[in-house]
Amino acid sequence: MLELTGVRVVYGEGAPPALDEVTLRVHAGECVAIVGPSGGGKTTLLRSINGSVPIAAGTIRVDGVDISTLRGRALRRMRTHLAVIAQQHDLVDRLFVYQNVMAGALGRWSTLRALRFLIAPTAAEIAEAREALEGVGIAEKLREPTRDLSGGQQQRVAIARALVQKPGAILADEPIASVDPELGEQIVALLCGLARSRNIALICSLHQPEIARRYFDRVVALEGGRIA
Amino acid sequence: MNDALRILGSFIPPDLSPAYLRALAVPVAETIGMAAAGMLVAFAVGVPLAVIIGTRAPGHRLVGTVLASLRAIPDLTLAILAVVLVGLGPGAGVAALALFYTAMIGRVYGSLFLAADAAPLEALRATGASRIPLAAFGLIPLTLADMLSFGTFAFECAMRASVIVGAVGGGGLGTELIGSLNALDYHRALTVVIVLVALVAGVDAFGMLVRRDARLALLLVPLGVIALRLDWPQIFAFRHAVHTFAGMFPPELRAAQIVSLPLLIAQTVLIAVGGTLIGAVLAAPISLIAARRLAPVPVVLVVRRVLDVARAIPEVVFGLILVVSAGIGPLSGAIALGLHSAGVLGKLYAETFENVPDAPIASLAATGARPLAIAAFGFIPLALGPNVVHTLFRLEWNVRAATVVGLIGAGGIGQALYEAQQLFFYKEMLAYILVTWGLVALSDWFGERLRVRMGWHFVAG
Repeated sequence: MLELTGVRVVYGEGAPPALDEVTLRVHAGECVAIVGPSGGGKTTLLRSINGSVPIAAGTIRVDGVDISTLRGRALRRMRTHLAVIAQQHDLVDRLFVYQNVMAGALGRWSTLRALRFLIAPTAAEIAEAREALEGVGIAEKLREPTRDLSGGQQQRVAIARALVQKPGAILADEPIASVDPELGEQIVALLCGLARSRNIALICSLHQPEIARRYFDRVVALEGGRIA
Repeated sequence: MNDALRILGSFIPPDLSPAYLRALAVPVAETIGMAAAGMLVAFAVGVPLAVIIGTRAPGHRLVGTVLASLRAIPDLTLAILAVVLVGLGPGAGVAALALFYTAMIGRVYGSLFLAADAAPLEALRATGASRIPLAAFGLIPLTLADMLSFGTFAFECAMRASVIVGAVGGGGLGTELIGSLNALDYHRALTVVIVLVALVAGVDAFGMLVRRDARLALLLVPLGVIALRLDWPQIFAFRHAVHTFAGMFPPELRAAQIVSLPLLIAQTVLIAVGGTLIGAVLAAPISLIAARRLAPVPVVLVVRRVLDVARAIPEVVFGLILVVSAGIGPLSGAIALGLHSAGVLGKLYAETFENVPDAPIASLAATGARPLAIAAFGFIPLALGPNVVHTLFRLEWNVRAATVVGLIGAGGIGQALYEAQQLFFYKEMLAYILVTWGLVALSDWFGERLRVRMGWHFVAG
């Protein structure tokens, strides 16, 4: 479970808070959409949950652990429970699809295993990548160079990478901002379906309130860094 | 002048007899082996150091500073140090090249990693990936094209540098060249230069293949391992090395030497400035007929090959040829630097002319202006900024090279350093090494500040 209490984030001295008094609870298997204007704090909210943005006040607990107290290895270990999907999918386009998918496992693999996988992946690892890609409907792209995929397919690879991470929560930052509306709706439906069937908490920022209402269990509006 | 031309004429024809070409097989193999082994070590050590810099791991500032300091020691100086510590032979060459190019690879790859696309890296960090997987899955694939480009360029430089280290007893073609010149066998000396040009061209061609298929770069591994294996015993004469190194401390100069130090520094700077000026003056007109947008393609192709040859011959080799024809002294040093710099700057200037934006040129052409007028009013002013930056970079490099040509009698700090080594005055040698290091570091620092201040940082890439 994710639990934010009175979270405040300030970028630089004297600047208005990017997040202010944000309190939010998301249960496993629950899908929550964050909507609001650009600059309202949606991305900051997701980045603070992931520990990428330090918080000035309040607490963020992931399964009861206060994330702001974690540093280095402990923070890395916590991040393996929180998968991130970004607007621009953020894949390494020179790698093959299966390599990008299995990058989701880097947090739980040893360094040696990660390097060995790049040179000689085992049948079991390939099977895991295939299964994740089946989940997002593009298993046939397994061995293709990532750069040859369309924008929508790359976003599905990013979702598959998040699934391989075996996360407790998925933080999706405007995952459909750079795809056409029809494809965007398919991706949201896929994400919510996967989150519910695998009991993963999903927090997803969106610009489309109608899609948010249609597919998510709860819609939270964020404006000027505050929950409206 | 007539004497100089007569001696230059005595280099022709090269000795292409089968017996000599067969005899060159060993020095050629040594040179290739030295470059391959040196680069293998440089990649094996430099890439992890670059990852430390690129991921801002603890200690990254210290690593950056150490590498910058190492890079400020010219390759010849490192080679002299290596010969003294490791003994004559390719082992010393490998040690010097490995150290110099580790610093180069570490610094440049570190900068590439820092400039890599941040978004995919953040996504990988978000999976909880630690630094090494982050490099393997992110930093390296994201920057592979640039890594290969620079890696093959560095290998080409290492091949040239292996001649420099050979010239002070590191073995290979450099030692062969010095031997031929000392024996006044100029025909053979020209053969060695031709073989060297062919080797550098070969590395250039190999580099193009590697950029197309990165896996070919793995060929360096067996080649480097074999060369390292062959050079191994000499590399690790450890006790001798420690003993000799201890004998260099404390560095010291006699009173007369301290008095002459400003003159030596001035000579070195003069050789560098003179060489850069000669290079720029030669390169400026040549580059106009080396740019595809300014000259017919057949002319461009021929001129480019001439520039390639000038680039393939290291300054010190030009210097050796000039010393036997024009005599020793700073002028020979400056001309040697100038000829090599003309090859480098000619290519860079021509590429800048080719990259000039179309629109202003098209509007000049629309006035009915003739080609020379378009060059004078369009290409030259538009290319001036980047070309000034290239020239300043060259000047920085030439401060290093000016110490290198010192060894063939061009004067300056380099000559003093070389003479101290030859006479086994190791305390003096170390003092001159420190002065050289300071001079190069100062010139690098000054160049960097000037570029930042003038906003030329990004133009120079």
